[in-house]
Amino acid sequence: MPYRLHLMVCAGTGCVSNRSLEVRDALEAEVAKQGLAGEIEVITTGCNGFCGVGPILLVQPDNIFYQQVKASDVPFLVEEHLLKGRPVKKLMYTPPEAEEVIPKMRDIPFFGKQMLIALRNRGLIDPEKIEEYIARDGYRALAKALTSMTPRQVIEEVKASVLRGRGGGGFPTGMKWEVAVSTPADERYLICNCDEGDPGAFMDRSIVESDPHSVIEGMVIGAYAIGVHQGYIYVRHEYPLALKRFMLALEQAREHGLLGKDILGTGFDFDIEVHRGAGAFVCGEETALIASIEGKPGEARAKYVYPAVQGLNGKPTVINNVETWATIPVIIDRGAEAFAQIGNRSNGKGSTGTKVFSLVGKVNNTGLVEVPMGITLREIIYDIGGGIANGRKFKAVQTGGPSGGCLPEQMLDLSVDFDSLLEVGSMMGSGGMIVMDEDDCMVDVARYFVDFLQGESCGKCVPCREGLRHMARVLTDICAGRGKEGDIEMLEELGQTMLNTSLCALGGTAPNPVLSTLRYFRDEYEAHIRDRKCPAGICRELITYSIDPEACTGCAVCAKECPVKVITGEPKKVHTLDAARCIKCGVCYDVCKFNAIIRV
Amino acid sequence: MVKFRIDGREVEAEPGTTLLKVAEREGIHIPTLCHNEWIEPYGACRVCTVEVARGRRRRLVTSCNYPADEGIEVFTDNERVRRTRALLLEMLLARCSEVPRIKELAAEYGIEKSRFGYDPKERCILCGLCTRMCNEVVKANVLSFAHRGVDRKVVTPLEREMCSDVCITCGACAHVCPTQAITIEDLRKRKGEVPEFFLGPTTAISIPFQQAVPKVPYIDPESCIHMQTGGCGTCAEVCEPEAIDYDMQDEVVELDVGQILVCTGYQLFDASQMAQYGYGKLDNVFSSLEFEQMLNSTGPTSGHVLTKNGKEPRAIGIIHCIGSRDEHHHRYCSRVCCMYALKFAHLVKDRTKAEVYQFYIDMRAFGKGFEEFYTRILDEGVNVIRGKAAEVVEATWGDGREGHLLVRCEDTLIGKFREIPLDMVVLCSALEPNADADKVANVFSLNMSPDGFFLERHPKLDPMGTMSDGIYIAGCCQGPKDIPDTVAQAQGAAARILALIAKGEVFLDPIRASIDEDRCGACKICNNLCPYTAITFDEEKNVSVVNETLCKGCGTCVAACPAGAITGSGFTDEQIFAEIDGILADAGDSA
Repeated sequence: MPYRLHLMVCAGTGCVSNRSLEVRDALEAEVAKQGLAGEIEVITTGCNGFCGVGPILLVQPDNIFYQQVKASDVPFLVEEHLLKGRPVKKLMYTPPEAEEVIPKMRDIPFFGKQMLIALRNRGLIDPEKIEEYIARDGYRALAKALTSMTPRQVIEEVKASVLRGRGGGGFPTGMKWEVAVSTPADERYLICNCDEGDPGAFMDRSIVESDPHSVIEGMVIGAYAIGVHQGYIYVRHEYPLALKRFMLALEQAREHGLLGKDILGTGFDFDIEVHRGAGAFVCGEETALIASIEGKPGEARAKYVYPAVQGLNGKPTVINNVETWATIPVIIDRGAEAFAQIGNRSNGKGSTGTKVFSLVGKVNNTGLVEVPMGITLREIIYDIGGGIANGRKFKAVQTGGPSGGCLPEQMLDLSVDFDSLLEVGSMMGSGGMIVMDEDDCMVDVARYFVDFLQGESCGKCVPCREGLRHMARVLTDICAGRGKEGDIEMLEELGQTMLNTSLCALGGTAPNPVLSTLRYFRDEYEAHIRDRKCPAGICRELITYSIDPEACTGCAVCAKECPVKVITGEPKKVHTLDAARCIKCGVCYDVCKFNAIIRV
Repeated sequence: MVKFRIDGREVEAEPGTTLLKVAEREGIHIPTLCHNEWIEPYGACRVCTVEVARGRRRRLVTSCNYPADEGIEVFTDNERVRRTRALLLEMLLARCSEVPRIKELAAEYGIEKSRFGYDPKERCILCGLCTRMCNEVVKANVLSFAHRGVDRKVVTPLEREMCSDVCITCGACAHVCPTQAITIEDLRKRKGEVPEFFLGPTTAISIPFQQAVPKVPYIDPESCIHMQTGGCGTCAEVCEPEAIDYDMQDEVVELDVGQILVCTGYQLFDASQMAQYGYGKLDNVFSSLEFEQMLNSTGPTSGHVLTKNGKEPRAIGIIHCIGSRDEHHHRYCSRVCCMYALKFAHLVKDRTKAEVYQFYIDMRAFGKGFEEFYTRILDEGVNVIRGKAAEVVEATWGDGREGHLLVRCEDTLIGKFREIPLDMVVLCSALEPNADADKVANVFSLNMSPDGFFLERHPKLDPMGTMSDGIYIAGCCQGPKDIPDTVAQAQGAAARILALIAKGEVFLDPIRASIDEDRCGACKICNNLCPYTAITFDEEKNVSVVNETLCKGCGTCVAACPAGAITGSGFTDEQIFAEIDGILADAGDSA
């Protein structure tokens, strides 16, 4: 008997840690209690992408979007909306600066401007049920490929789509498959890289948690095209839910004859083994990943001979990112031409299709977004992201994770695609997008990324291991007020050599955060070195707090909160701050309601 | 073949050959640190960086693993390359500031001091040569990298102290390390001391000694890496005539012979049994054979006389009669020691400026020219002290002469006790029978004299024969003797053997035993009794049989046979009784 309403509870990691499963349990209990269990179904889905406002509840088919739902809200919600037909306004979404709520999901700008291809099923199916994936046209592309296309035709289709790797390298996927096929070998392999290591990135995690079958279907199609019978999924150790969903999905796929021996009765064999990472960012690099699967330490190897020619166990190996694999079924199903129409590709420039970005930082709407190539940074940050939070001003956007660069305000109208970002000194990377405002120090950002990379470098080659060590030291010194003349030039010199001589892309792209911030925000570096000042007020040793006598009302809140008691004064009289003993913790700045604390 | 240019020169190479190989072939020098021709290229140090131009695109690549390709242009030493190498070396110099190899390489690129820091203690440049040598060539899999980034280091399993149980101390890692971060001494210290000089082969494959016959190398299975781990195999690879076969096994060869010459030699008395001389405990106390090896120009010091710290000794003492003429060890005189001791003295005087002291009891200079040689030694200024040395101790003098040895003796000619300071002591150890002499004696039915050497048939008239016909002894297995005497004895024995072979037939004494097959009870008592091993047991006929050639007619078996089945020819009971009757025949009338 068909249900009249479906209650889709988001069970992505973000919402789950915000107790969405309690909401689900409360809903199931309440629905049963009200005798509605026969008409209303409660379903847990994968991540909806609007993680900043979770736990999310979507009521279908009405497309009503509820956000920040708590278990305690449930009885009221069930009574009002489900029984009396009155959707609950106080749980709906209100855009910043706006008065009215937006009840329907498709009208919310965060969602409305997105185009979902890799994330086509997010929030709409239970990721632990293969039937729901199939009901939304899942595995149709696989059936089409296996029964009505030759492997060669599949490769040509992928080449025609001009799909480029979504993991960071941006290598044309069809060409990679072509190289693997044309290298003579008795065995070939296929790997899915789910070792998403960029700090703040969760695109792949989201895809796997919401829709693991999209990845598996892509891999089977790829295996058929390239002639592979053994595939691997490399999941980073820190993704237990993704691992669980993958294992379950693989089991179900095997049970349904979509994986394993004699797939769909066509005689084609292909199976997938899951391999867990062990806490190394460098293992996201394909040659280090291959070494890790082979049982060796995760060290990169020279790529003068590509893994597609000589990879795992010396055989041709195709490694693609999760998002790339998830896109393949759509290309086969709708056709390369339809796919290539999306994006900004024309006259040999630009990129096709969509890209998933994790939009985080100082924007109002943080979460996961999938947008067509060619969209501008401004549209992403302001239209979808809702602009800068707390009334602050945009300063920079960091794209591409630790391998990428920071772009200033002048670049906001840049059309986002693989090449345009490279031209301005950044890169697409795997899709991390961190928005920064005037309270972010660009030197500190560079220092953060270099520090991260220093700890993750495998240590094999001299430029990366030693270069990062020295860069980190210099940047730490600059942030602590110990910078000297010549430090900037030294950073540039080290950066150039690391760029040109590092063995793998970790070291090769490590200078990007430093070089791009030097390019666009050199004045901040100079302020740190010459003036011993941090304009953004982040680098502790370089900031001083003082009290503005004009604004201070003597409320003494700051004096009470100060952990080292350096603020003194009489009630209702202007207070003073002893800068010599101040530890720069910033608590007084945060609690003052009169903006009387000056930070320079 | 692909054609390309390197430093302006047109070259060609098989596709896939690395740029470094091509450069080497063309005589172009490119510096490397982590490269070794025996191991796969690694690309860790980046010092071999060169610039490659392909069309308009130029990039820096590592020449050790970049494959040659058609139409590229390679620059191994232009401004960009030099600048890049300089910075890489400057970074390495900050890490390992006092390693000579890094310092000299950095200086070649104009870097005397690093802007990035200074560490005088670090020696390892993480080139991975040791780990790859151990894992790819030797295949002992002892070394590996652990930890990431700046914490990366070379470790053994579970980070145990440098030599774990699996290390076979082949020394390949120390050999290949470019910065001496691993040294052989290090390995030896942790794995256990190796004796200073030893008389066996020094490497796993070596020619035993210069006079070896056949003069071909021999592989010691205990130290050969290939036989331990299946790795290496370098000797077979470089041998052009492919003469090395690791699967060779010992063959057991059975020959039918008529005569055997046993010349199994002697072994040297182990002087560590006499604790007072410090052999095996004190440095610079050597046995005569060890000193002989030191003097030999193919020995461990190429013939120089050196103490353990590599310096020439100022005084050497040679002590006679260690283990010989000794109630507690061997009562006999070892015969050869006096003369070789004088030879040592002469050679030391010849090669060094050291004083030589001889501590003797009697000087046995019995042979041709021997006494004259002794007189010559006296003329050379060797200090000859009559009095067996009592002990050798270490000096503990205060004024920096630690480590010297003192020999305490009684100089009987002047009637005083003396304590002589020396830098080195040589012990004339006794010649004794081999440890397994009794086993050899059993096999060949040889007798042994009370001192353990094999017994000759007659000390004066047959020093080469033994009680068993057809078996002869020669050389030191019969008793200590020097080379001329050994050669004489051997030639004599050989002549005896040849004479018999040439004759083709043997004359036998008619007096011999014979066994009556009908009466033999197969008890086999006679088999073991025969001193000449002349009786064997015939399994088919189930009776004992006398070998007439070996039987000497001693009559032991005749007396022992419980069935009375054996008779000595000419000595049957009836014949003996008849003889007795004959002797008493005359006496019978007068009684």
